This record gives sequence, structure tokens and C-alpha cells, in this order.
Amino acid sequence: MLRYHMQGFSGYGVQYSPFFDNRLAVAAGSNFGLVGNGKLFILEIDRSGRIVEVNSFLTQDCLFDLAWNESHENQVLVAQGDGTLRLFDTTFKEFPIAIFKEHEREVFSCNWNLVNRQNFLSSSWDGSIKIWSPLRKQSLMTLTPRPLEITKMVDPLNAIILKKKSFTGISKNRNCVYQAQFSPHDQNLVLSCSGNSYASLFDIRLPSGKNQNNFLVHSGLEALTCDFNKYRPYVVATGGVDNAIRIWDIRMLNKNESATIKRTVPGQLHNSSCINEIPNAHGLAIRKVTWSPHHSNILMSASYDMTCRIWRDLSNDGAKETYKTNSTDATKGSIFNFTQHSEFVFGADWSLWGKPGYVASTAWDGNLFVWNGLG
Amino acid sequence: MSQRLQSIKDHLVESAMGKGESKRKNSLLEKRPEDVVIVAANRSAIGKGFKGAFKDVNTDYLLYNFLNEFIGRFPEPLRADLNLIEEVACGNVLNVGAGATEHRAACLASGIPYSTPFVALNRQCSSGLTAVNDIANKIKVGQIDIGLALGVESMTNNYKNVNPLGMISSEELQKNREAKKCLIPMGITNENVAANFKISRKDQDEFAANSYQKAYKAKNEGLFEDEILPIKLPDGSICQSDEGPRPNVTAESLSSIRPAFIKDRGTTTAGNASQVSDGVAGVLLARRSVANQLNLPVLGRYIDFQTVGVPPEIMGVGPAYAIPKVLEATGLQVQDIDIFEINEAFAAQALYCIHKLGIDLNKVNPRGGAIALGHPLGCTGARQVATILRELKKDQIGVVSMCIGTGMGAAAIFIKE
Repeated sequence: MLRYHMQGFSGYGVQYSPFFDNRLAVAAGSNFGLVGNGKLFILEIDRSGRIVEVNSFLTQDCLFDLAWNESHENQVLVAQGDGTLRLFDTTFKEFPIAIFKEHEREVFSCNWNLVNRQNFLSSSWDGSIKIWSPLRKQSLMTLTPRPLEITKMVDPLNAIILKKKSFTGISKNRNCVYQAQFSPHDQNLVLSCSGNSYASLFDIRLPSGKNQNNFLVHSGLEALTCDFNKYRPYVVATGGVDNAIRIWDIRMLNKNESATIKRTVPGQLHNSSCINEIPNAHGLAIRKVTWSPHHSNILMSASYDMTCRIWRDLSNDGAKETYKTNSTDATKGSIFNFTQHSEFVFGADWSLWGKPGYVASTAWDGNLFVWNGLG
Repeated sequence: MSQRLQSIKDHLVESAMGKGESKRKNSLLEKRPEDVVIVAANRSAIGKGFKGAFKDVNTDYLLYNFLNEFIGRFPEPLRADLNLIEEVACGNVLNVGAGATEHRAACLASGIPYSTPFVALNRQCSSGLTAVNDIANKIKVGQIDIGLALGVESMTNNYKNVNPLGMISSEELQKNREAKKCLIPMGITNENVAANFKISRKDQDEFAANSYQKAYKAKNEGLFEDEILPIKLPDGSICQSDEGPRPNVTAESLSSIRPAFIKDRGTTTAGNASQVSDGVAGVLLARRSVANQLNLPVLGRYIDFQTVGVPPEIMGVGPAYAIPKVLEATGLQVQDIDIFEINEAFAAQALYCIHKLGIDLNKVNPRGGAIALGHPLGCTGARQVATILRELKKDQIGVVSMCIGTGMGAAAIFIKE
């Protein structure tokens, strides 16, 4: 295990460089990201196994996420608390090379398109997702997940579930789009998850109003994170405040329900089929889920419970579907539990390089740890 | 800052609360891939003991003929490959060894492959429900994906096999105050319930008459047609209608029947106790992830099952303790339940449980109970599951419960889909 401590800053996001096997970027904020400066750390693992800072950029507000430019080895994009996105060149000092300002509140996630490598997206507490080109100051497109009004839920069962939830927080944060991701298989697909407990799947080729399918993913509690499986284009994972990880097949309408539920709004309701679930995967809310880049059935989660966990998705054996669920396993499919962090873990990323299984994680404790999750 | 802090606080507070919340009704209403679902639940007609349609056939015959019909109606992917059934559990009370041999034989004859294992279960009157629970648990923990729970009883043919009082051979046990309570006849345990908790003969007869009226009405309206499978008898005739329900039963007409167990001051009669009957029922269960894969229909889902022990001398109070236990385990309240199928072993014990739990009488056995339909011991639990899944509407919650001889109660929760 390797460690780097960011003095005075708490880690929110981490990503391995897609170009250099020893380079990492970490997005961080002072005062636990609640108020004050942010800082982007560019770190390298040297030959002796130490993590060293090679560059860093201080920003005026906290940084909540980052994304390496997939077509330029020196560029990193950050999501900032003041509603801006900033593109930094790691060979420069101090200032960003571009600023993208449209969001009205904190930008909580950003993600570079892995397929066309030209676009990136951002998701914000203002309830929108924006798609951008690094060449343009204005966004190319704004996506707004539609079911923001819980009372306008179409599915009567979901309405029952949500009405019975007496939680107060959901009304305050429900517009927040905590994370959005481009599909690694199709440059036109975007998945997002929101404080209203819904995940939304967008096809940006379709006209607005018909380009989204929304599905309830976390029982009315906030959905904080989502990710596309890197090998199975139709499989996504979500995590949220119900402490559960759920795995969905976005192809399938639920066969048993599709006939009985009236679709009053076209495209509003998409009963994506939940094919697996890890209930109580963590003791507290799950902040990050991310599928392995090397395995079709392994994923990692990071949580407020200060741990990172590696899971096997037992509904797939790596080659085909098994139709098992993780509930049928004594360990619930748990492979590894990383317990070195001493605060909420917000960011984690798999290394694309070397022996499969290396990951980097960062937490409110200011630590960046590099460790092997697969032994 | 304050909003960011509040947001983090919300995540923490709600996720910490969520642990308790996960068992509440709202999360029970959600469908999950690991749910144990009921793909099919059917039963035979219930025959009158000693003089009914099934008086000349034993449980192996009943089970074999029922399985032929039941399997014949299985969804195509399953019918085409019965190897997909990974376990059969069959409840039975009166056969020697709970029918372990002849019921395995009936399964093989009906086309279930020898590679599918079989277990015979006997937890007295809850045997059929215990079989459902046995299969459901095996699906839950991943031992199997699909299983078949059965219950069968021919009280006509096998009541004589076992001394209805049971047997205790040890002289020491025969003298032991607690042990010998297990030998108290069921009727006497009910007299104890009626006397201890002051359930009047009039109330019992009214309850029993109501059961007859509900069952007769349900039968005439064809409400049982969906759940009853026809049984072909050796003479070529077909039995597909319950023999227990009869018209024009009133509390007055029952009031003239003489007490069966305590002649002078007893209140339990043949009219307000369950009938001696023959019958068979089956419940096919699967994990939802597998049911979806095979495109199997889903009638409802199994939620939970609990059993409790109660004093043997008042064994009829079992549901009054089993139902709260299963409700607590699932975070539900009595008011959340839409229908209760509480086995009417005797009117007095059923009434006691209903009153004790404050259950709305209109929610109990809406199509009649064992007083009118009959109580083929090992079959009853599975029969109730088949019945309640027709009574419930989509997303309604039902409880199946019964008292158990030697002092126990069992209760299970199902949700209709």
C-alpha cells in the first residue's frame, strides 16, 4: 500500500492518467470541501514506490471531481464548487487554460467521453447535466432528468414507496445530479443519478423530451453514484443512501409490469430490471461505485463508512449470466475490504495499468492510498 | 457551506436510519432480484373424510394424480425440463414416516427426475406451510433456484395409523407434568382455550356458521375454480369441487349439536371444529432472478415465516403469538395486512387469536376456513397459500397462520403481484 497525504485538504475525486502508468490526479477541498479553496494534485509514483507531487493547482472553491482529457495527456478537467469547470494543463503553473461557466450551483461530477474523446460532461446540484467540447465556451447540450417532482411519479407503486418515506432531506437535495457518466460503449448514452432516487439514461441523439428513461434505483433515498459496466454495455451499477449497491439491466423492461403500468408521459417510465443487489453493502451511504476495467463482474464501492470494498457481481460469472444474486453467497460476494481510511471515502479509481487489481482511493482524511484490491 | 454540510448530514442520517427502515412495509413492496416468488400454487378439492370422493384412495394416489395435473400446467420452460426443480419438500402428518417413501415414489411416477431430491416434513398442522418455508429458505440462501413445496393428507386412510393421542412410551415421561401435556386431545385443548378465555358457545357457532356461509358462497361463485385442479379417481370420475361447504348453515342450526369432547359443559362440537378431510396442495417457488430468466409467471412473493411454542394444553393460541412474531420480523403492523388466512382448527381458538390481535373479522378467511372447507392436516398450509394468493389483490399483503398440536403456532407473510 502506498500513501500520499494532502496536508490541509480532503480528497473528493481521483483518477489514473490514461496515458502514464504512474500518474494520478486528485481533486480536493479544504475544510472537508465545505468552504474555502480547492486543490488539484498531480501525483506520480516514482521508481522507489513513493508518491510525489509533480504539480498542483490551487482553486478558489472546492473541487469535487476530475477527469483526464482522453485525447491530451497533459490536460485535466475539474468540477468546482462555484459552478465552473476548469481545464488545467499539467505542464503549466497556477492558471487553467479554459473555464466553462454555466452551472448555477456546485458541479459534483465530470466525465470525459471515452468513445469519441472529444466531449466531456458535467453534473451539478442545479439539477442539470451539460455536455461540452473543450473547444467551445458554451455547452453543447443541457440535459435535465425529468422526474424531479416526486408527487408526479407515474408508477403507482413507486408513488406509494416514496410517499411513505418521511425523510426530510430528499426534498432539499433531490434536484442534485450527483454523478453522470458517458457510456464507455456508445458515445451517445449518458447515465446520471440524482437526489430524487432516480437514475436517468439519456440517448443524446434523440430530441429532448424523448431522450430519457428514468427509473427508481434506491427506494426513494438519494442515489449518489452510478457507473457503466466496461464489458457488458447494458449493465450499470448504482449506489446510494440506502447503503445498497444495485445492478441493473438497462435493456429490459420488466416483463411482468410493462403491461399493467400506464405510460402517461412518453419515455417517462422505464422499468429497468434490477438483476442483482448487495443490500447493506456498507454501514453508511455509498458515495462511489466503479466497475473494474479488467473484469466484467467485479466492482468497487467507497462509502461514508470509511471503507472501500471490492465485490464480485454474482449474477455473472465473467462469461455468462448465472441469475444468482449476491444474497445467495455467505460473504455477499465481498472480495476485499479496505479499512485504512479514517474518514469518509469519496473517490476511488481502478488502475488501467500493470497487474489488474490496483486501485487508488481518497477520503476526507486527506490521504490518497494506492492498494491492491484483488490480492 | 451550510447547504453542503446539510447535504452530507442528510446522507449520514438517512443511511443510518435506513438500516432500520429496510424492513418496513415500503421496502417490502419493492421487487428485488433475490425475492423468493411463487410461480404456481394449486390444490385439489378437499374431500370429506371417510365418506367423500377420496375415501378409497391414499396419499400416494392423491399426490401422483395432483402432480400430473400440476406439472401439466407448469409454464413451458419448466415443464420441458423438470430437472430445473432442485428440491421437493412434502408436508404430511399421519402417514408412517410422514410418507417419505410413498410420496417420493409419487414424485418419480409423475415425471420428476430421480435426480431431484425429496424431503418429507411433519410439523403437524403446519406441515404444508413448513414445506413452503423449507423451499423458500433454500432458495434464499442459494442452495437451490427452484423448488416445489407440497402438502398431502388422507385422514380417511391414515388417522388409524397413529394413535391420535400420540404415544409416549417412557413411564417417566408419562408421569412428567409438562411432557404428558403433549397427549392432551386437540378438542380438550380447545375446551381449555374456550374456558380460560371465555369464548361462548354462541360466539363459536356464529363464527362457524359464518365460515360455512362464506365458503358456500365462494364455491357457488366459482372463486375456488382457479386454484382447484381436478383429481381423476380410479373409477374414472373426476373430483374438482370441495365437499365440505354446505348451504343453510346458521348459528341456530349448529347450536343443537352436542359437545364432542366434554359432554356436559363443553362448547366444542363437530359443527364448530374443523372437518376431517382428504386433500393435496402444491406451491412452486423460485428466485425472481431465475423466474425472470425463464419467463415464469409470478403470483406473489414469500416474505417471511416464523414459528413459536405455546403451552401444549392451549395449543390453539398459537397464531396469537406466531403472527406478532412474523409481523415484528418484517416491521409490519396488524393493520398493514389485507387478508388473514387463519386455520380454523376450532372456532374458539381462531376467535381467541382474532380478538387478541385486534384483527378485523372481515379480513379473516374471506372464503371460509377449515370449519367449512375441511382440514387435511399436512395439506392445509399449502392449501391456504393457494387460496390467499387468489384472495389478495396486487401489492396486498397476506398472512397465513395456524395453530399446531403439542403447542406451537406458525405464520407466514405473502405479497400478491
